[in-house]
Amino acid sequence: MSIIGYGYAVWAPLIWIVALAVIGVMVLIWRNRGQKSYKKGTAQTDIFLSGAKVPPEEQRHVKSENIYWGFFESLKELYDALMKPHTGIVNDYLLWFVAVLAIAIPILVLAV
Amino acid sequence: MNLKAFNRALWVYHMNTGSCNGCDIEILAVLTPRYDVERFGIKLVGSPRHADVLLVTGPVGRSMEDSVKRVYAQVPDPKVVIVVGNCGAEGDVFHEAYSLVGPVDQIIPVDVYVHGCPPRPEAIIHGVVMAWAKLEKLAKQEVV
Repeated sequence: MSIIGYGYAVWAPLIWIVALAVIGVMVLIWRNRGQKSYKKGTAQTDIFLSGAKVPPEEQRHVKSENIYWGFFESLKELYDALMKPHTGIVNDYLLWFVAVLAIAIPILVLAV
Repeated sequence: MNLKAFNRALWVYHMNTGSCNGCDIEILAVLTPRYDVERFGIKLVGSPRHADVLLVTGPVGRSMEDSVKRVYAQVPDPKVVIVVGNCGAEGDVFHEAYSLVGPVDQIIPVDVYVHGCPPRPEAIIHGVVMAWAKLEKLAKQEVV
């Protein structure tokens, strides 16, 4: 078995595989010791939502953008400022392009 | 009490259907070091799907009717229902209120009633012990 030492840590794939297998078996044994008296196909296997009616699957999807809520909320002012120029009209974007070029080209020419 | 058929810890799901919190505070008192029922394996759980006992407080407001039915249906068998407090048992001073559909036994079958406003922790513990005995009977029937 090859063990790679980095001075502060050890990477031995076989040890990890064996450890994960042992943990997996332990979890399965633990799971099998759980409650078995559920009646499958009844409300006993339904999702528990504090007693509220569970909405259809398509309505309870959590979008990935939800996890960025705090990020967007704290940078709201910046995003609002950035989003204002974005009208979605191609003419506006071309105008921005021309304006930036008109400023950038003289600066580059002068700098060279 | 000689427990044979139901020989595991008793897990309880507590549901408030419009209680004033008086009974709920007494239920918490049952878990404090003075009474400490957790030493017998009796503990509150966060989901009816993990529970053996459904413990209900409050007189059941109209908006809670569906929730009570749903939560009761989600408790695995064998299960028992304890009602703690006069409100859940018979409506108490609210029994004629327009906003109530209770008491609890009008909505779901109830096995143990613990009266009081609020009941003392000793009375609640007694109710839980009675529920445990009933659960033992139900478990035996399932085994047979």
